[in-house]
Amino acid sequence: MATVHYDGATRWYQGTERPAVDSLDLRIDDGEFLVLIGPSGCGKSTSLRMLAGLEDVDAGRVRIGETDVTALPPKQRDIAMVFQNYALYPHMNVADNMGFALKIAGRSKDEIRQRVRDAAQLLDLEDYLDRKPKALSGGQRQRVAMGRAIVRQPQVFCMDEPLSNLDAKLRVSTRTQIAALQRRLGTTTVYVTHDQVEAMTMGDRVALLDEGVVQQCGTPRELYERPANVFVAGFIGSPAMNLRQGRLTEHGADIGGMTVPVSRQARATAASDGDGAVTVGFRPEAIDLVGEDEGVAATVTLVEELGSDAYCYTTFRERESAPGEVDVVARIDPRKPPAKGETVHLRVRPDETHVFSTATGARIPG
Amino acid sequence: MTVPAAMMRKVLLTACAWLVALVVLAPYVQMLLTALKPHEELFASPPGYLPESWQFGNFLEVWRVAPIWEYLRNTVLIAGLSTVLAVAVALPAAYYTARRRFRGRRMFLLLVLVTQMFAPTALVIGIHREMLALGLIDTYAALILVNAAFNLAFSTWILHAYFSSIPVELEEAAWLDGCGTLQALLRVTLPLAVPGVVTAVIFTFITAWNEFVVALTLTSTPETQPLTVGITAFIGQYEVQWQYLFAASLIAIVPVVALFAYIERFLVSGLTAGSVK
Repeated sequence: MATVHYDGATRWYQGTERPAVDSLDLRIDDGEFLVLIGPSGCGKSTSLRMLAGLEDVDAGRVRIGETDVTALPPKQRDIAMVFQNYALYPHMNVADNMGFALKIAGRSKDEIRQRVRDAAQLLDLEDYLDRKPKALSGGQRQRVAMGRAIVRQPQVFCMDEPLSNLDAKLRVSTRTQIAALQRRLGTTTVYVTHDQVEAMTMGDRVALLDEGVVQQCGTPRELYERPANVFVAGFIGSPAMNLRQGRLTEHGADIGGMTVPVSRQARATAASDGDGAVTVGFRPEAIDLVGEDEGVAATVTLVEELGSDAYCYTTFRERESAPGEVDVVARIDPRKPPAKGETVHLRVRPDETHVFSTATGARIPG
Repeated sequence: MTVPAAMMRKVLLTACAWLVALVVLAPYVQMLLTALKPHEELFASPPGYLPESWQFGNFLEVWRVAPIWEYLRNTVLIAGLSTVLAVAVALPAAYYTARRRFRGRRMFLLLVLVTQMFAPTALVIGIHREMLALGLIDTYAALILVNAAFNLAFSTWILHAYFSSIPVELEEAAWLDGCGTLQALLRVTLPLAVPGVVTAVIFTFITAWNEFVVALTLTSTPETQPLTVGITAFIGQYEVQWQYLFAASLIAIVPVVALFAYIERFLVSGLTAGSVK
């Protein structure tokens, strides 16, 4: 068990314009489950591989516990990794796959057998110990990869999109299993994913990366409720937050004729900062369908019914002074969805809007 | 497809396969039949297909009229050691080029391929002079070096392809499991590259076993001559002792066929199945 420290860790591939990971500062507590998330190429896997020792660190340091591991080879870091494609040793059976690290470490045969059996029991793999990986299903292979990691009892688990090769249903059940297993073992875990549902449900904290830089690191709820900038606001949440450029008015922010309530404090801060051009964000669930006189009229272009929820994609024409169309997604009561082409009236609830500086993208507190 | 059509197709395919086999095997049958004929029958006119009197003794006699044992020993040693040398040099080269990206990597691989384009025959004079300068004329070392060198390109390429096909994550997993680079190579990568190694071994061994031109040029005594050169002793100035020539040739073929039959089982494909995805 140990903490993990990224201290200005940087990775710069030869011949690229910017670092893949740019002076990453992260502190992961002992026993914590940290999720690294971001779009493709954001540097999340590279960050993980720097911790595992599979990627050079060009500047800065990486520490595990009190040990500076920046220059240590992978074998000396006491880290177990679950790969996206599992990377099971195809010429060994399940038991040998799981016991390989212990065998290399020179543990006794009895101890290896015992620890492999314990892990197999935990993962429901006891009946498959003699099988080769090719005779296993995808879910079983994933569990063997997990087993290979937990048999080790390492200081840190590194997981690189371990669920992305499973089918949707299995992914959901394995997701909860991995989270529960991690809580039970209490091993510090760094988990890379591009799936925000995994990030939100599994992580104690989530670090969202873009272009090699951490955009925000916090609990899933913090990222959802108080996104630090436009990128975080747009990335977290599905369907994505409605983000529109608008102008501050006396009552709030105006986006193409629709007035969105903005707190007095945010208005004051934005006004003192500059020209009053802001980016306003509100989530689909912050919108109410109201009566004719109370909100902006919009045309329904699509209704997505998910059973428990329904989302209504609408569009309305901007005022004549600035012609164009504004698209807004609203969550609606799934029991009485409007029909496509119907006109609905939208109103954004106060206190559920986010204001960002259009110039810098940063959140304007309020 | 109707049932008779499917049947017809099957019959035709089988017939074709037999036809091909017959064409391939015919020279060997001819060799065997000739090896069993007495000397007088060889030039009989009209020639008969089957020997009139079967001379199984030719296969024993041949050991007496020429130092077949010595030739065979030379061939085994030269082919065997050439194979060991070629694979031992090709393995690290192939591994490195498959795993590392370095400046000139493509150029290196191309150069290796280009060496394959020169026929030994075209280079034989140069090789002879080189060996003369090195004082290696009429030694095993000369033939081992030349055979290994000519087969290096193929071995490097086939092993390069094999190493490239093995997911690098397997090695990374081994590193994290506590292996050093060499240990990961020996315990994880190499066992998975066995089919590639076997292919390289078979190819190199057979080529070295059958090599003639260079051996003819570089050796001059039965102490170092391989079978391919040795059996040319049956080709005299005035007559060719076909029955012995073919008997010795058949003796030369048997070990290679036996080796191939044994080693072929390691050529299973899909060894990495199930490791990833």
